[in-house]
Amino acid sequence: MIKCPFCQTPHVDGTLFCSECGTYLLEDDQRGTDPLGTNEIGWVGDAAEDPNAAAALAPGSGPATINLTIGDKKRTIEIPLNKAVHMGRLDPASDVFPEIDLSDDDGLGKGVSRRHARILKREGTVVVEDLGSINGTFINGKRLAPYLPETLADGDHLQLGRLLLEVKLR
Amino acid sequence: MITDSLTTQNNSPGDTSPLSLRTIISHNTLKSGVQEQACYVLLDISPNRDLPTSRLPLNLCLVLDKSTSMQGLRLQQVKEATHQIIDYLQPNDTFSLVVFSDRAEVLLPGQKNIDKPLAKSVVSTTQPSGGTEMLQGLLAGLKEIQGNRSDDSVNHMILLTDGQTYGDEDDCLAQAEWAGRSQVSISTMGIGADWNEDLLDAMANASGGVSTYIDFPRKIVDAFKATITELSTIVAREIILTVTPSEGLTLQEAFQITPHIRRLDISGSKAILGPLGNTGRKTIVMEFRIKTIPESGVKRLARFTVEGDVPTQAKQQSWAWTEVKATISSDAEVPPSIPPVIITTLGKLAIFKMQEKAMEDLEKGNIIAATSRLETMATRLLNLGETELARAALLEAGRLSRTGNLSAEGKKKIRYGTRSLSILPKEIQHD
Repeated sequence: MIKCPFCQTPHVDGTLFCSECGTYLLEDDQRGTDPLGTNEIGWVGDAAEDPNAAAALAPGSGPATINLTIGDKKRTIEIPLNKAVHMGRLDPASDVFPEIDLSDDDGLGKGVSRRHARILKREGTVVVEDLGSINGTFINGKRLAPYLPETLADGDHLQLGRLLLEVKLR
Repeated sequence: MITDSLTTQNNSPGDTSPLSLRTIISHNTLKSGVQEQACYVLLDISPNRDLPTSRLPLNLCLVLDKSTSMQGLRLQQVKEATHQIIDYLQPNDTFSLVVFSDRAEVLLPGQKNIDKPLAKSVVSTTQPSGGTEMLQGLLAGLKEIQGNRSDDSVNHMILLTDGQTYGDEDDCLAQAEWAGRSQVSISTMGIGADWNEDLLDAMANASGGVSTYIDFPRKIVDAFKATITELSTIVAREIILTVTPSEGLTLQEAFQITPHIRRLDISGSKAILGPLGNTGRKTIVMEFRIKTIPESGVKRLARFTVEGDVPTQAKQQSWAWTEVKATISSDAEVPPSIPPVIITTLGKLAIFKMQEKAMEDLEKGNIIAATSRLETMATRLLNLGETELARAALLEAGRLSRTGNLSAEGKKKIRYGTRSLSILPKEIQHD
């Protein structure tokens, strides 16, 4: 027997959703994003150098793809910018399917929310928008206001919670 | 919907089966032992790509409410929608039109190759009057359909009303059940807030049709159009699913997920799934319970047989079958890796079931339980990004705790909204 952590209703083993309150019962995905201590939230990357503002002002249609080097493992991915790219942690139970899933980059431990931030192109400029994440989104150490898109330039350091991503635009 | 590598292909009698089946199981390995456990299977039924797509002739009857309450925009939109249906008909389709109030009137008796301008002018002359006695209209409509059916025709009724029918509910349902047995499906449509959704739902279910909630008159045209488009793609008139669980397993419950969520009556291990279109599919999710299961390697859990009445296939009953298997082991994977499509589907289904339970609580007079269920439901809906439906659930929860009742409109919105969850777009796909 297993018990719903939310309403304590007992269910037989293998049950996936509580019949009383609809809670997903597989413990592994139950954990939400924990707020990090305030002393931990600061910038963890190198001190901000001169961010390359010129790239954002480049004429024409702007960069076609974004290349991200993620976390300590230096995992690299490249994604076309033909539509908005969501970043967060995959959680099928809440129907969250981000294009960039950061679960395997210790996203949970580093305070990445399920719906954390998104990158999109606006009038030839690449911008990043924080989606009301718990632990915040930073560009070169500066914390973004939620839902207020900020310009992202080639060589910028992007930080979700305490997870660091290096940005290259092509 | 199902594209996982975990799918298993169908086993059909030869290569000629017009139906294609795929299954996904929640747990690839199950723990051996005596503890009861649950396991879920998703079954996807779609027409075989090689199936001829020639359109079957329709035998269609519109049964329309013309009671006084239909006056104005509602009747005007119904006429417009009917005109569009008439335009859509092909020469070998049979069409009939019945209007009803306190009594029924056959405006256009069933015939092929109708005179379209004449038919439209007959529709235009309809004037609103009287009350709503649905049984009268239903009987007249069924008579038209029965008199004009052929071996390969798709027999269908569109029944539209905006009011409660009084005193003949049981007879209406009995007629719908009879229609289902005679291969006549009924699409029931309710406009506004004052009709009986329990009855229209039961009638559609009993006959293999669909019931639709039309909140604004301007949506009538779309509802009619969707129905006729669906009808003209039908390749199998009736799909029947038989589930045979292996020894030690029982089928706990079954739901149709697409095209919309509904609880399946699986008593006698057979479920009637209605017609199947050549671009459509039916997805069924089933919960099995396993009581005692010895360690035995790979074991077959259940077999699914699907029969379809496919008139283009030499009038034979066509069928296909498939099985699900799992490894029974003493050291099953903990926690198990559940395919995301199963989690997403069951998550939506959980909300639908909470809605069912909230309505049950309410019927029993347990207002506190129903209110808290609606509130929890709203939270789950918000998690899915279904803000509008979440708001409706919250509004009704507030109304319920204040007045002890739901609004007729809110009740329909929640009922028809939760069943459509499976086809609503995901929030993350917007932009």
